[in-house]
Amino acid sequence: MTPSLTPLNRRDFLSKTAAGIGAGLVLGAPRTAHAATDATDKIHVALVGAGKQGRVLFEAMSNIPGLHFQAICDIWDYNRQGGIAKVRAFQGHTPKGYSDIDEMLATEKGLDAVIISTPDFWHSPHTVKCLEAGLNVYCEKMMSDTIDGARAMVHAMEKSGKLCQIGHQRRSNPRYRYVLDQLINGSKICGQIVNVNGQWNRAVNSSQDIGFNPKLTIKQDILTKYGFRDMQQFMNWRTYRDLSGGPISDLGAHQIDIFNWFLGVPPKSVFASGGHDFFKNREHFDNVMAIFDYDTPQGGVRAFYQVLTTTSAGGGYYESFMGTQGNIRISEQTAYTSIYREDSAPSWDSLVSRGFLKKQPAPPKPEPAPGAIASYESAAAEAFELPGDLSKPPHQPHLENFFAAVRGQATLTCDARHAFESEAPIYWVNPSALSRQPIEFTAQHLTV
Amino acid sequence: MSNESSCETNQLAFTYGALLLRIWLGVRSVQTGIEKFAGSAASDQAVKIDGAVNSYGLTSGGSVKHYALENYHGVPEALMSKFTAEPLMLKVALPLYDKVLGPSLLVLGVAILLGIASRTSLFLLGLLYTSLTWGLILIKQDEGVSWLGVHMILVVMALALSNHNRFTLLKKW
Repeated sequence: MTPSLTPLNRRDFLSKTAAGIGAGLVLGAPRTAHAATDATDKIHVALVGAGKQGRVLFEAMSNIPGLHFQAICDIWDYNRQGGIAKVRAFQGHTPKGYSDIDEMLATEKGLDAVIISTPDFWHSPHTVKCLEAGLNVYCEKMMSDTIDGARAMVHAMEKSGKLCQIGHQRRSNPRYRYVLDQLINGSKICGQIVNVNGQWNRAVNSSQDIGFNPKLTIKQDILTKYGFRDMQQFMNWRTYRDLSGGPISDLGAHQIDIFNWFLGVPPKSVFASGGHDFFKNREHFDNVMAIFDYDTPQGGVRAFYQVLTTTSAGGGYYESFMGTQGNIRISEQTAYTSIYREDSAPSWDSLVSRGFLKKQPAPPKPEPAPGAIASYESAAAEAFELPGDLSKPPHQPHLENFFAAVRGQATLTCDARHAFESEAPIYWVNPSALSRQPIEFTAQHLTV
Repeated sequence: MSNESSCETNQLAFTYGALLLRIWLGVRSVQTGIEKFAGSAASDQAVKIDGAVNSYGLTSGGSVKHYALENYHGVPEALMSKFTAEPLMLKVALPLYDKVLGPSLLVLGVAILLGIASRTSLFLLGLLYTSLTWGLILIKQDEGVSWLGVHMILVVMALALSNHNRFTLLKKW
């Protein structure tokens, strides 16, 4: 499970790092695995953070054999007890529950790995603690709410010699890996990629504040101890500047990571715009648009990304790589994924006959509108689709990769260093939008 | 002589009619009950690329239908939320109804097919369809109500032909 990057790109990229920007970046070799356990042994796991994302990860892990869930840590009784009940129902005996991670680390013996899905501003402290305790860590993205927090995670990983996988789960998704390896770098069906376009358009109903039952309110001294002003802030930490990076990191990080991974180089600059267009009282922007400039070995690329928390129309969420010969629009959702061949590009029939692509039926030709200037219109692009799909929950392959690495059977597809190199530009989107100024990246912006 | 012959012919026709109705209603009920345990899972069949199984883990996509106890859903999820929002619906009764609907359809369907207390089984099936009808009236599913109305006609016809019911395991009731 090595990252899907061609030697040509790696060389080209390394030559660019000599110029100073972006250092090892997304093309560097992934972290070497450490054999933490025997292949037949159970891996003893602790879950830190048993909220919504913790449950998503647990559901995915419940499909992976050889795991023993030993402890659950969450400051909220409701989440902790719910998590314990789920684990008990799954594995037949009760994991130990903790409200404090320090107590858990001091008490639990024999742990191999920790799954961290706490609020973003706790990612770095929790990850560093666990690495320093000698545990392998899978931590949800965004690595941290601050770039310095993310840097601390890289340093802790490298100092401890333990594994630290960051939850950019698309990096292990067979569909993404196939597109990069076989279609973009292998068959080069896009030709020269000149434009990248990504979005996550989320409906306003899905973006409302999360409510809670007052009877389940956490005691104020506990909230204060763990950095929350009140229960409302605890439930809606994603909307606060001191606790998270907002929608651009919450949703955009996954997709901008794909920009950087697929293009194989860091962006040169970012220029962003954001506003409190609907959720007037939120600290973070509710809608953000960002333009990144890249200088790739094939030439310049402009990448546009938008995250909306007010509108779901417009095709959902995807990353689209547009080249002179074809366009690959990929998403975790198969329904949002499509591939188009430019009319002027060489035929892809041999790719279809060999199974690299599946051709979609041609849509009916539209009737020409009266008075339309047909000569200005491009011919309709042929539509194709990927030859296969992912038959597992989207987080499962990434977790499988992590646990295989813990067993010494694989290398991480997104360790903390590579995640940092890809995430670093994202930390500068909000500052650019706030200052209404483009930011030209230097090594200081993007390196550990 | 010709009257006796005609009577015998009618008797046979009524017997066939009763049997067909039992088979139809029984199969309908059993299969509907079985479908409550149906679920779908993504296909995990690896796709071949360039003549070999791909090394990425790409599968053929699509979903495969399968049956399992853990798939059980008495009332479809899409309808459950609508029923829950209905003020006349007893909130306590709904989960119970959800649990018993599938097994009830199976038990009654098997009983009707095998001719076990046919009249009572048909009556209970009629009551079950009435309960479903009431739920669909609440959420204004008029097509479903009409469809269940046809089922009720068949149940009543089967009951009306009870005197001609043959091939039964338990004639009583």
